[in-house]
Parts: sequence; C-alpha cells; structure tokens
Amino acid sequence: MFYPRWIANLAKGPSALRRRAAVQRGGAVSPKARLFARALAIRHLDAGSCNGCESEIALLGSPVYDLSRFGFSFTPSPRHADLLLITGVVTEAMAPVIRATYDAMPQPKLVVAAGGCAIDGCVFRGAPGVLADLAQIVPVDAYIPGCPPSPDELLDGLLSLVGRSAPAAGEVG
Amino acid sequence: MDRLHHRIDAGRDALLSACSDAVREGQKVLHIFPEQGGARTAVWRKGQREIEEIEAGTGPYLRPSRSGFPSLRYAEESEFEQAAFEDERAEHTVSGEGMHVVPLGPVRADVAEALRFEMDVLGDEIHGLALRRGYKHRGVAQRMQGAQVGQALEIAERVTGTSTVAHALAFSLAVEDALGLEAGENTSLLRSALAELERLHSHLGDLASLASATGTVVAAADLYRLREAVLRFGAHWTGHRYLRGAIAPGGWRRDLQDVAPELPSFLADIEREFLAVRRALDHTNSFLDRLHGAGRIPAAPLDLVGVVGRSAGSDEDVRWDRPYAWYTELCAGKRPATLATGDAFGRYFVRCEEIGHSIAMLRRSGAVRAKGSALPAAASDGIGYGLVEAPRGRLFYRVALREGCIETCRIRTASSINWVAVPSALANYNILQDFPIIDASFNLCVASLDL
Repeated sequence: MFYPRWIANLAKGPSALRRRAAVQRGGAVSPKARLFARALAIRHLDAGSCNGCESEIALLGSPVYDLSRFGFSFTPSPRHADLLLITGVVTEAMAPVIRATYDAMPQPKLVVAAGGCAIDGCVFRGAPGVLADLAQIVPVDAYIPGCPPSPDELLDGLLSLVGRSAPAAGEVG
Repeated sequence: MDRLHHRIDAGRDALLSACSDAVREGQKVLHIFPEQGGARTAVWRKGQREIEEIEAGTGPYLRPSRSGFPSLRYAEESEFEQAAFEDERAEHTVSGEGMHVVPLGPVRADVAEALRFEMDVLGDEIHGLALRRGYKHRGVAQRMQGAQVGQALEIAERVTGTSTVAHALAFSLAVEDALGLEAGENTSLLRSALAELERLHSHLGDLASLASATGTVVAAADLYRLREAVLRFGAHWTGHRYLRGAIAPGGWRRDLQDVAPELPSFLADIEREFLAVRRALDHTNSFLDRLHGAGRIPAAPLDLVGVVGRSAGSDEDVRWDRPYAWYTELCAGKRPATLATGDAFGRYFVRCEEIGHSIAMLRRSGAVRAKGSALPAAASDGIGYGLVEAPRGRLFYRVALREGCIETCRIRTASSINWVAVPSALANYNILQDFPIIDASFNLCVASLDL
C-alpha cells in the first residue's frame, strides 16, 4: 500500500520549489561549492534552536522531499561530512563545539546557516549567553532564511549553493 | 554544564516533604521560582481552577535533593539557584571492571538537538546515564523581561518550535488572566482547533521518528508524509506551517483562512491513512518486539506529565483537569488515553490514541472565521497564569505585567519535568542498541529543557 504513493511522489518532484531561498555570498557559485554538486554529505548541528528547524530538516528525508535523490545525505560523523548545516542561535556553550565540529571535517568543506536564529539571532538577539555572529566562529558559505525555513527552502538553498537548479515538476533529480 | 543525575530516588517525595507545610495532599507543584529574595511555589489541585502561590524561604526549600533533582533548578535563575545547589551537586559515578562510559553529543544522531548523554556501559548493558544540559540556554526569561506583550509573544512562540500554539496560548491566557480579559466564544473554539492540529503534527512526527528508529522505514515514510500534509494544511489555514503569528492575547494577530469546507475531508483522509499505518505497525512483530519493555520507567515517586505520564499510570491531562479554551465541550464524554506500562510501547500507544482524539476534537470544533485584531492596550499591572496541555504535556506560564510590559515571565515546560525520567528508564535493563528507540519513544524537547 505504501510503495505506489512513494513512487508517485518521487516522480512529481517537490511541489513548490522556490528559487528565492538562498542568499549567497557574492552571488556566483564558488568552485569549491560546485565540487559537491553530485554528492553532498551533510552534518547537522544544533547551536541553540527551538527545534522548529530540526523538525523541517527531518522532513527533508521524507518521501515528499527525499533529498537522497539529489545525491545528498545526512552523516552522523563530521569526519564524513562535506557540509555543516547550523541551526539556532549561537550560544556561548556551543561556540567551541561548532569550532571543533568544523575542524573535524575534511577539506574542502562548506558551512550553511539555516534559519533566522543562525543568521542574526532572531528574537533572541542580544540575550545573555547568545553570541552575535556565527561568521566569527566559522566561515559561512550560505544563509538560508526562514523561521523555520521550510524543507522547500532548505532544499532550494542547498541546491543553489552547489550550483544546481531545482528540478522541474516530473524531473527526478 | 549542569548535570542530571541518574538516580531519582529523592524525586517528588523530597520535594513534597520539603514543602510539606505548604503543599497539602493532592496538590501538584506547577513551578518553583525565585521572587524578590525568596522563592515562591505555584501549586494547583487537579480539577480546580485556582492556582495558588505559596511563599517559601530560600533555605532548605530549594535544597531537598541530594541527587540533583533537576526540576528545582533553572539555568535562567542561575544566581539564585546555583548558590542553593552548589554544595548539593552529586557526582555521578559507577565503577567496576569492564565498565566504560559511552559519550554521545552534543552533536549527535543525524538531526537532533544539542544534549550530551554519558552512558555507563558494561558490554552492551546500560547501567547508568548522566545528562549534561545547558548547551542551548538562550536566556528566554531574561529576554522577555521588560519586553512589550507583542514582543514577548514572539519569543514565547519560539521557545519550542513544534509547540508554538501551546506556548502562544499559555502566554495569551496568562496575559488575559492578568488583565481580566475573556476571550470570545469563536476565539476559544478556534484556539482549541489549532492546538489540536499542532498535537496532530507533533504526535505524527514523534511516531515517525520512533518508526525510523526501529527500522520500519515504510511506516516512517508514511508518517512523515502525513505530518507534511498536516503542516501544509496549517500553512493554508494560518499562513505558517507551525501556526506562528495567529494566536494573540484577546484575539488574533491576523485573519485566518476559512477552512470550514475542506476540514472534514482533510481529517477523513488523515484518519484513514493513519489508521492504515497503525494497523500495519500493530501487526509488525519486529516493531512491537523492540517497544515492549524497552525504556520502562521504574515505579518511582515522580510526577510525570503529558504522554510520558499518561503511559506510566497517571491520568493527568490539563484539557480535562482544568479545561481552557473550548475543552469543556470538546472533552465531554471522553477520558484521556492512558496505559500503565510505562515502556516505549505505552508511549507509542498513548500517542496513537491521542491522534484519534485530536482528529475527533478538530472535527467537533470545526472551523469558524477569525479576523485579526489589535493587541490589548495593557496599561495596567497584574499577575496571570496560563496552564495548557502542550503536545508533550503540561505547560505553565506565569506572567507579571507592569505598565504594559512584562516584568517577569516564568515558564515550566513538560520536557523539563519529563527528562528526569529518561536516565532511570534507560538504565533499566536496556542495552545500547535500545537507546535510539527509547530516545525516540520519549522524543522530549531539549530547547524547552534549557530555555
């Protein structure tokens, strides 16, 4: 009973991929990011989120979005990761953890800040224990805005970061 | 980092005996918080509306637990409570030949919140667990101090993303209580409807992660798909997938879509498909075998709340015990879903039942039109309480207003209560391979533990 629907969803593609999600530094796709166009291992890191972003990121693996068809995957180990996907405000306690995780990743590597909190602290900006800028800890390659960014926006942000365009309806990755 | 200890023997008994002068039989402690040099306790008797506050001194009152019982400690109240607990901090030690510690986190699993588990393991068996918390402390309470009602509402909505409605509603009820406002009939009806929609997507997500932890990937895929459908319906209804920016003290912050025509067929689809998934899971032995007996909460004097509490013998549900919004009508003739097993299967079962309840309640509440309205001009002072049943359990807000701004906002979330049970449940004859399943069966929120 499950498979036909899954295959139908796969063929349809994400319903409303929007092109506006990723705000990229400099606008052009960097040669480094382009290396990962076909295969990208993502390590997610929660730096102090409300769990809204996690909830949306978890849906990326669902059959509705299915990020594996783009060659993207989540990896539990930073040693296997190409991209660090950071969500949430940057708390003082997590700052050294972010740095250590980044240092553990092999070169070349990318960092994406997803969600309003990771970008500028959102409503928690200026709260005690919340640091102002993620870019002071690790270099950030792309920002994906949203509170939380929807799976559409996340997928579109990641695709445009590595220089791929979102597939048209019916195209399978 | 603070440390939660694996022993919980002190638990509620110590807390109650320490407050024994004040806390009478049958009353529940909602929150203990510092207030002007001393501490206050908010207590409540099940089935009654009044929330009482009891003055309590600083001294022995906050020192009952030698095991670091965490419900008495809050990061945002650090100065006050750190001092009270500094000398009480128990160190977690388990020793023996072959015993080693498996550290996990704060960067853990594929997509998970930041929390550190330190498991004492002998071979495969888990003998103890210490949790290190505090990685995600965002200073919610401090940030709210001095904020205007509208700003504080935005912060409350971002305490826990998957319980946005519950937090917005508890905050709004507290502000309305403080100002002596009464929400209209339609507003109450619609608030209940949104709260149930939120419970629906939250429970579907919890079950999906449980299914994926047990390796039943087809069911997980289907549950995630159902959850996505609920989120999209919410976006269509309120303009936000997690229903943000709708609920406000006294009314609505924006016009809501009229979904009355689509609601019945949407609910019928979700119900039919959910029942099909549930039936499949209930007949999958490899799934059930992993749940029965896994992560059983030992019989301990603990006041657990929400799904975790109701699957361990409690029948506490704020919707029944202190009805708010439209729940007097919606709960009539039903009882909260309960099971007394206290294991992962109990939590699975209660969540499944509650999904059915939520769908039935949504169906009964229907959908009425809502118009956006301005926030009330809160020029007066006052203290108000909001008590709601969030998807993960009882959520308490105490808001003190001064000249239209938040003087203090005290929040007590269900996860901050229920995390206490996780170490003892995990160290209860489970093996390392059970850990992801037990963790997923609780699916507690770290953001609302660290606040």
